[in-house]
Amino acid sequence: MTLVLKGVMQSPVTPLKNDFSPDYETFERLVDFHVRTGATAISWPHHKAESHNLTIAERKSLGEVAIKAVNKRVPVSIHVSALALEDTFDLARHAQKKGADAIIAITPYFWKYPPEAIYDYFVKLGTSFDLPLIAYNSPSYLDGIEFTGELTARLIQRLPNFIGMKEASFNSEKFFEILRAAQPLRSTFAMIVGVEYLLPSVSLGGAGSYSSAGAICPNLCIELYESCVAGDWDRARAAQYKLSELWLLFRDQYPSSLKGGCVIMGRPVGPTRPPLPTASPERVKFIEKRLIELGIVDSEPHGW
Amino acid sequence: MSDFRFGLTHAPLTPFADGRIDYDTYRKVIDFHLRNRAEGLALPMHAGESVSLSAEERKALAEFAIKHVAGRVPVIINVSEAGTAIASSLSAHARKAGATALICSVPYYWTPPQSMLVEHFATIGQAGGLPFFVLNSPSEFSEVEFASKSVVELLGKLPHFAGLIDMSLDWQYMIEVVTVARAVRPDFQLVSGNEYMISAGAIGATGMLSSLASVSPKLVRELYDLCRVQDYKAARAPQEDAAILFRLFRDAGPSGLKAAAKAMGRDCGAPRQPLPTLPDAAARALATKISNVGSVKAEPRGWA
Repeated sequence: MTLVLKGVMQSPVTPLKNDFSPDYETFERLVDFHVRTGATAISWPHHKAESHNLTIAERKSLGEVAIKAVNKRVPVSIHVSALALEDTFDLARHAQKKGADAIIAITPYFWKYPPEAIYDYFVKLGTSFDLPLIAYNSPSYLDGIEFTGELTARLIQRLPNFIGMKEASFNSEKFFEILRAAQPLRSTFAMIVGVEYLLPSVSLGGAGSYSSAGAICPNLCIELYESCVAGDWDRARAAQYKLSELWLLFRDQYPSSLKGGCVIMGRPVGPTRPPLPTASPERVKFIEKRLIELGIVDSEPHGW
Repeated sequence: MSDFRFGLTHAPLTPFADGRIDYDTYRKVIDFHLRNRAEGLALPMHAGESVSLSAEERKALAEFAIKHVAGRVPVIINVSEAGTAIASSLSAHARKAGATALICSVPYYWTPPQSMLVEHFATIGQAGGLPFFVLNSPSEFSEVEFASKSVVELLGKLPHFAGLIDMSLDWQYMIEVVTVARAVRPDFQLVSGNEYMISAGAIGATGMLSSLASVSPKLVRELYDLCRVQDYKAARAPQEDAAILFRLFRDAGPSGLKAAAKAMGRDCGAPRQPLPTLPDAAARALATKISNVGSVKAEPRGWA
């Protein structure tokens, strides 16, 4: 149960064929690409992997592909969040059976419920499986449903396998409240920022990030992390500003534009399932222009 | 354009006695902040109950403070108002009275479109002709944010637009603003509008506006100095204390700050209506919570 997460972790997108069916072969290549370009862990399927647009059966079979493709080179966590919690528990059972190293789950979707319900849910998830558990906090997407420092502390005291949190508030106060409640109770508890806002999070004591742009520019992500850890803040700022521009490029209709960008980098991963749009040829042209302007095309790997 | 840099600026309380501004005590308040190493004074901020002062009182307060400070540090006048013309008259007055710079938030109550926000700030800024800082605090202003593209527009219209004071704590926003603004004006200043200085400093903030300085001037100085030399590891300890105090006073507002200042031997009278005076029991409970924060023991008592 000793899994300590840090560094630039990658959560791959889900490659699709032109008929929107899963492209298993490309998925394997993508996962392998991430591991070869320095991912310290793989986590799939986050929302950028269109988790909500995949059937439970697809999530299971693709999850197995990810675990096999990584082949124990780095830890793999499976994102088990689904609209119905029955599906979540089914996915978690499957992840455990197939050899995942951890599970990750967001606060339940859609409903408004009190903090106590979050506590009960994570206790049930954490005690039902013999796997490390990572929580996922995203208050802006879930309309204010969120982890507080106090709730996090209670869960750490209750669950020995609660090892970290993906934190996507991008807010100094919220991030730091959870961190300073958690770390005195579990020094290895990993605060992992949702996309590459490593500069403000590592300076506060964060452990790393689940990457957004890792399929586009793994070198830049790692440069940012390493300069933050080394305390080379001028270099870190330059990398962070660039990654922030990329995030602005990708965040709208996420992950449509990200998938569009993969085309430019010679690693096409196919369309995006409706209701999300697929990046149009004009949009891809625009993304190409920005990737050239930002120096990404020249400094990052092309092709697989 | 003056070379004014924001630095560590304190936001003093406004003392009242018998329903009027208590200038005898205000003199002591100002001297207290200067003795405790404020590099500038910003007044009247929300901590100084700006919204409970009449226009005439705000002008008289500015004149008094500027006269009493007598050039020892810059005095920055807050001219935030609901109406553009009313704010402009405060800003013209501030210049005549000898202020060094101006602070202005988005209008109270209204939620105008971004184009009108740009016009609002441009008009007020031009009326003052001093270095002009926009205060961004969406949670206090019906979620109205001064968008990064509006920052760029205002830079084109107002040569004196010197920087943005951020109270949103939002990493995406702060990074976006420094990125786009410094592309146009490399010396554009980002100022942390509260005491989460580590993440803001890492992002590129060079100044800090502190309300906690009424209670913990030594703490905010230590935090600020460590962040200015980018020693974020050492800044972690003061940041923790500052976070605890920030959250205590965010809930209690000027009522809490006045109760705490009184408990520390600096009675500034009661806050003006409609703000409540904390009942004795609540004031005692707050004082206990504050004294549990380790660094508070070393803070000055009385007016020393």
